[in-house]
Amino acid sequence: MSNKIIQWIDHRFPFTSFVKHELTGYPTPRNLSYWWNFGFLAGFVLVLQVATGIFLAMHYKADVALSFDSIQHIMRDVNYGWLLRFMHSTGASAFFLVIYIHMARTLYYGSYRAPRELMWWTGQGLLLLLMATAFMGYLLPWGQMSFWGATVITNLFRATPFIGEQVVIWLRGDYTVGDATLTRFFALHYLFPFLIIGAVLVHLVALHTVKSSNPSGIDLAAKDNIPFHPYFTIKDFYGLGIFLIVYCIFVFFLPNSLIEPANNIPANPMLTPNHIVPEWYFLPFYAILRSVPNMVGGVVAMGLSVMMFAFMPFLDRSRIPGGAHYRPIFRLQFYLFLLDMLVLGYIGYIPPTSQSILIGQVATLCYFGSFFLVPFVSKAEERWLIKRGLPPDVQALIAGESREKSQSPLRRRSGDKK
Amino acid sequence: MKKFIVLLMLCCTPSALWAEEAKLETVQVETSVAAIERGAETLMINCHSCHSLKYIKYRDLANFGMDKKKIEDWRGDQPLDAPLSSQMSEDAAVQSFGVVPPDLSLMTKAREGGASYVYSYLLGYYSTPDGVTGNHIYPATKMPDILGSSGVTEPAAREELQKKAHDIVSFLAWAADPHEQERHRLGYYVIGYLFILTLLLYFVKNQVWSKLK
Amino acid sequence: MADSDTLGDSNRRNFLLKMTSAVGGAGAAAACFPFVASMNPSSDVLAKATTEFDLTGMNPGDMRTVAWQGKPVFVLRRTPEEIKAMEASDGGPDPEPDQKRVKKPEWLVVVGVCTHMGCVPNKEGPGWTCHCHGSQYDDSGRVVRGPAPKNLEVPPYHFVTADKIVIGEA
Repeated sequence: MSNKIIQWIDHRFPFTSFVKHELTGYPTPRNLSYWWNFGFLAGFVLVLQVATGIFLAMHYKADVALSFDSIQHIMRDVNYGWLLRFMHSTGASAFFLVIYIHMARTLYYGSYRAPRELMWWTGQGLLLLLMATAFMGYLLPWGQMSFWGATVITNLFRATPFIGEQVVIWLRGDYTVGDATLTRFFALHYLFPFLIIGAVLVHLVALHTVKSSNPSGIDLAAKDNIPFHPYFTIKDFYGLGIFLIVYCIFVFFLPNSLIEPANNIPANPMLTPNHIVPEWYFLPFYAILRSVPNMVGGVVAMGLSVMMFAFMPFLDRSRIPGGAHYRPIFRLQFYLFLLDMLVLGYIGYIPPTSQSILIGQVATLCYFGSFFLVPFVSKAEERWLIKRGLPPDVQALIAGESREKSQSPLRRRSGDKK
Repeated sequence: MKKFIVLLMLCCTPSALWAEEAKLETVQVETSVAAIERGAETLMINCHSCHSLKYIKYRDLANFGMDKKKIEDWRGDQPLDAPLSSQMSEDAAVQSFGVVPPDLSLMTKAREGGASYVYSYLLGYYSTPDGVTGNHIYPATKMPDILGSSGVTEPAAREELQKKAHDIVSFLAWAADPHEQERHRLGYYVIGYLFILTLLLYFVKNQVWSKLK
Repeated sequence: MADSDTLGDSNRRNFLLKMTSAVGGAGAAAACFPFVASMNPSSDVLAKATTEFDLTGMNPGDMRTVAWQGKPVFVLRRTPEEIKAMEASDGGPDPEPDQKRVKKPEWLVVVGVCTHMGCVPNKEGPGWTCHCHGSQYDDSGRVVRGPAPKNLEVPPYHFVTADKIVIGEA
C-alpha cells in the first residue's frame, strides 16, 4: 500500500530519487572519523533550539515591565517550563561548542580548500547569523547582564564613521537600550533561526556538489566511498547519543553554571554590575576588543577577528593536500592557535588589570599573526616537505593536480563521480 | 572559586577598618520538606517584615507540602494565590534604610557563591568597640544585624544561630529553584535511558560496520 | 555499495536493530511530552480555577455576581417564599427538581451565562431575563421561556464554612 502511494508521488515529484541520491545512497568517504559527526550535531541542536524557542515564545512577554517576570512564570508555573528554559539556555552553549569543534575540524583537515571554499564561506555566514541570534536572545531575559551586555555591544556601533551616533540610536530604537530594543530583538531573534535554516540548506547543497573531504585530505577513489545509509546514519545517531548524555548532564544537573548570577537580577539601568562579561562563546572576541585601546580600533579588530577565517582558502598556499595530516608545521600552528583562543577566552573573562591587558594584547597579536604567517609558512613547509620526501600517493596527487590544472582547470578531482 | 575570592577581595577594599578578608563558609543546603518549612518559618519571623519574595505564592508553599495551618497563619486574609510581599512599604523602607530591601526569591542564584554567600553574609556581621556594626561579606550593606550574629560568640549560641541561618538559606535555595528536586529526579531517568540507548546504538553501529570489507 | 537486502536479511534475525529502534522511538515520543504539556494551563491559571466567596452580608433576596474562570457566577440568597415556589415545580423546557440544583436550599449558585448564545442575563424581579433574545430563568436558574434550551449551569462548588463557598471545586 505504501509502495503505491510512493509510486503516485514519484510520478509527480522526485521523492525516491532524491532520497536515494542525497540521503541513503549518497557517496561518503569510508575513512571519515568522528570529527565528521559535528555537522549533523549542529543541525540537531538547531532543531532543538527552534522547538524549545517556539514553545517558550508561547509564554514569554517581550516588554521591559513583564519580561523578567514572564521568565519566572515559565520557570515556576508553566508545566515543564523550567525544562524548556534550561534546554534553550544550555542549547545555546551546546550550539557554539559544536560549531567551534566543527570549524576546528575544517581548519585542521584543510576542508576549506578548493573546491570547498563556498562551503567555508556559507559556514562563515552561518557563524555570523548564529552570533547575532545569540546576542539578541541574551537580551530577552532582561537581567542585569542582558541589559548591560547589550548596552556595551550596541555602543560599539558608535565606531561607524560619521553616522556612528545615529546608527546606535537607530539600532536601539531609543537613546538607551529599552523597550523598543527588547521588542525588536525578540522579533529578530525569532526570525534569524529561519534564515539560518535557509543558509544551512545552501551549505548542504554546496556540500553535495563537492562531497565531503576526509582525514587524509586526498579525495578517495570512487570505490572507496560507501553509501551514507546505513553506515553514517547509524554513526551519526551513536554520536548523537553521546552528545545528548553530556547535554542532559548540563540541562538537568548543571544548568545554572551557564547562567551568570547577575542575570538573576532584573535589569537596572541606574546600576552597572561590577563585572560585565559575555557568555563564554564570545569571550575570545571580547578580549580582542578590549586589547585595542582605541575604540574604533577595538571594534575593527574584533570584526576582523571573526572575519579572518574567511581568508583561509587564499592564505593557505601549500600544494600538499588536505590539512594537518601530512603537514607537521601546519599542525603545530593549529594547536598554538587553539591555545591562543583559550588564553584570549580567559583574558576576556577576568576583570582587566594592566597585566591581563598586556597578555591579551600579546595574544591578539598572536591571533592575527597566525593568519598572516600562513601564506609564508605554508609555502616554506611545502618546499621542506618535498625535499624531505613525501609518501608516493601524495606526490602522485600533486603531480596529477598540476597536470590537471594546465589541462582543464574546472574539472573535478577523482572520486567526485556524481 | 579562587577567581571569586580575588573578585570578592577587590570588592572589599573600600570597606571599614575592621573588615577582614572575606572568606565564604561553604554550606550544603537541606532539601527536605521539614528543613525548608523551618526555614520558611524563620524567614517569616525575621525577614518577612522587610523583604518580599514576590515569585513565591502561598499556594506554592502549600503545594510543596508545608503545614496548611501555618500557611493560613502567615497569609491572614490574603488569598492563597497571593505572593509573599514584604510588610514594610517601599517608601518606609527607603526612609529607614536608604534603599529598598531586595526581593529574596532569587537571592541564592543572584550572588556568586550562591547559598554559601547568603549564609556567610547572615553570619558575617561584626561590631567595633565604638558600636559600629559592619558585615565582612558585603561591607556596603544597609541591612541591620537582624539575627544578631555580631554579638554571638559563645559556641552553643553560635551553633544555634548557624542552624537558623542554615534553615533560612535552605528555604531561599528552594524558593530560587522550586523544581530542582524534580529536575534531578527526571535527570537520573533521562541520562540512565540515554546510557542504555547509546550502548544499543554502539552495538548496532559495530554490527553495521562489520559488514564492510 | 552495500545492498539493502543484506540489511533486509539481517532484519529478520536482527533483534538488536529492532530493539534499538523501539527504545529510540519510545524516547523520541516521550521527549514530545514536555512540549505538549507546556501548552496546558500553567499552575497560576489552574489556581484561578477556584474562587473563594464570602457569603456574609448577604440578606435573603440579595444576589451577587462573582467572577470565576473569567465567567460571571450568580449567588442568590433565596427567601423562604422563593424556595417554596421553586420546590413546587420542575421548571419549564428543561425540567429539573430544585433540590438537585442546590446544596443548601437557601443558596443558589449558577453560572450567569445564557445557554442560548452566551449573553449575561439580568436579575429582574423573580429570576433572570436575557435581553439578547428574551430567554427567561426562574429563581432556580431554570429556563422557563426560550429560546434558551437548557437551565443555567450549576458549577462545582462546596461550602468551606457556613459563610464561605469555594466555586470550582465540588
